[in-house]
Amino acid sequence: MSAEVESDALHARVRALIDAFEQGRPMPEAYDDVSRDVVRFQGEHVPGYARLCAARGVDPGAVTAAAGAPAVPVDAFRVSRVFAFEERLARFAFRTSGTTTGARGTHFMRDAATYDAAALAFGRAMLARDLASPPVLVLGPSEPEARDSSLGHMNALFARAFGPPPAGPAHFVVNGALAVESLRASVESLPAPAIVLATSFALVHLLDAIGHARLALPPGSRVMQTGGFKGRSREVSAEDLREGVARAFGIDERDVVGEYGMTELSSQFWEATAVDPAARRGVYVEPPWARVVPVDPETLDPVADGQVGIARIEDLANVDSAFAIVTQDRVRRLAGGFELLGRAPGAPARGCSIALDEMLAAAQAGR
Amino acid sequence: MTYGARVAAVRRWLEAARSVHRDRARIAEAVAASSGLTAEGVELGFSCLEQDASDEEIVALVEAAGEAERVHVILSANVFVAPLRAIALARAASSRVTVRPSPRDPVLARALVAAACDPAIAIVEEQDVAAIATGEIHVYGRDATITTVRERARAGVTVRGHGAGLGLAIVTRAADVGAAAEGLAADVVPFDQRGCLSPRVALVEGDAARAAAFAGALHERLATWAERVPRGRLDAEERREAVRWRDTMAFAGRVWAAEDHAVGLGGAGEALAVPPAGRHVLVAAVKALAEVSDAIAPIARFVVAVGTDDVRAAGSCAPAPARVSALGRMQRPPLDGPVDRRSTPSSPDRESPT
Repeated sequence: MSAEVESDALHARVRALIDAFEQGRPMPEAYDDVSRDVVRFQGEHVPGYARLCAARGVDPGAVTAAAGAPAVPVDAFRVSRVFAFEERLARFAFRTSGTTTGARGTHFMRDAATYDAAALAFGRAMLARDLASPPVLVLGPSEPEARDSSLGHMNALFARAFGPPPAGPAHFVVNGALAVESLRASVESLPAPAIVLATSFALVHLLDAIGHARLALPPGSRVMQTGGFKGRSREVSAEDLREGVARAFGIDERDVVGEYGMTELSSQFWEATAVDPAARRGVYVEPPWARVVPVDPETLDPVADGQVGIARIEDLANVDSAFAIVTQDRVRRLAGGFELLGRAPGAPARGCSIALDEMLAAAQAGR
Repeated sequence: MTYGARVAAVRRWLEAARSVHRDRARIAEAVAASSGLTAEGVELGFSCLEQDASDEEIVALVEAAGEAERVHVILSANVFVAPLRAIALARAASSRVTVRPSPRDPVLARALVAAACDPAIAIVEEQDVAAIATGEIHVYGRDATITTVRERARAGVTVRGHGAGLGLAIVTRAADVGAAAEGLAADVVPFDQRGCLSPRVALVEGDAARAAAFAGALHERLATWAERVPRGRLDAEERREAVRWRDTMAFAGRVWAAEDHAVGLGGAGEALAVPPAGRHVLVAAVKALAEVSDAIAPIARFVVAVGTDDVRAAGSCAPAPARVSALGRMQRPPLDGPVDRRSTPSSPDRESPT
């Protein structure tokens, strides 16, 4: 069987999991069963992964459960090729933000259908489960303006799937500037609950631009907030931003929903506050086809429940790249999901040899 | 202060250095505790302490120092022998010098000042930058530290920042791989690679096979060094970065790893995965020296020192401000001015606005 055929079959199995989730059916296959075959496939067709497995003394063909799969450091996306197909077949190239050392991480895909299905299924469940066809307003650039951004791709996907606003554009960042008046006009024309998709820094810019004024959304509307500030706006605490956004849009704070995603992934994680009255703010939940496991940063073994570790993220939808990645984000498992605790605080380094963090000051993974 | 007096002050300072070096056993344990180096690592570090300089070098140092009414030296993150040169520069510039040692690594600065018995040099425990009214501030440390000092310094006070950096090795096609690896290992081991002169990236002219041969040879030489000079303890963050980098390199190319070091071979034409300090070296092939500039472009502004088997050939493609020396000599630059000759946005010397 060729790699492409094998990949297509794996994509179909993952999409069957996603379909089952959307339709409220039991999962047709166990997570470990699919992960076993994805890991074997990547061991055979991603040369770097085969090398990593060898260095860790793991035979990818002998991995029987997800937990046994070595995780790929996200840096690998910056300095190597993380894909299981011929380069000429790549149709999408999502890139991380620029870094002071020049290289940007790139997640190549030959087919975004599984990415799209995963994003839509879980995004709809966490953000718009009870909304019929909510118009989508994006506080970000349009897809053509941000062609290599996975977040731009996801936002455009949501806008296409859920529906555009009844009047005016769907995107409100044009040539890098927030189009506040255009947004105001669109908001005022909304007849029904809407979805606003935004980065944290775009929301800060909006709050700074409108001051104490309000852009009241119809009742039942939701706002997705994602990402950090990346030096592109003043920094605001999560609580203050949530409160400010809720006030500005005239919605409940529980309807300001956090999303956590990365360029290197095909799935996203969401706060469940909008759809689950028991859900806690700051706790992100996973779809059934992805898992976040806090691991010890030195041994990469899972830490005990409730302990803080760095995030090992497993994503079955990453069929053609890396099923498991390891990030520098600190996380802790809590009932119902995981808590994001930001980057590991590095101790001040000894000596005057430049620290990687200092060199990669702008290397916070972007989407 | 006359020119002759400044030269004489530097010579007296070097006498203090020799005195401290002779009595180094008294402070070696304290240096090991504060630096994280093993006892053998401290002894090796002391071998890098400047104890002498030629007339020409001292003249160059005095000229590089300029003149100042007062100089306030703020020492922070650096290798443990760095106070020698830092205070020499300050003393060459002024007859009124205060030194605030690094709170984490104060041992050598205090020992040198005590040995010098120079009334022009005084240790201070605290240094309120905003209270300094005149003269110069020489600040050593991370860019963030330097930026903070610049922001707090009063108008009219000159701030000279000496930031962090790294070393680069260039191995030309003509080099004997084993000899070049021996030289590079001798540059990597001192201070467990935590100095701004310490090489962390080695570009090997030739094909991937030659780069791999060099990486393997370097691995062997570092293992031999580790028997004589074991690596000291790494901080938790350094250990995490080491794990991350080794796995990244295992994915991207190949890793030769041992308990006290690792050598990674990058893929041809791929971005450089700069390793963390702690005896980690990235080796990558370049087809020709003409490709060096492009290969290092993203990190060129951090390069403080270049070591090579062919100073003339490789020097022409080194970043302009970097010190270029023979492999094996990167940690022993002449005492002719600041170690770091860069004038970049990360460590510019500037006059505060008046």
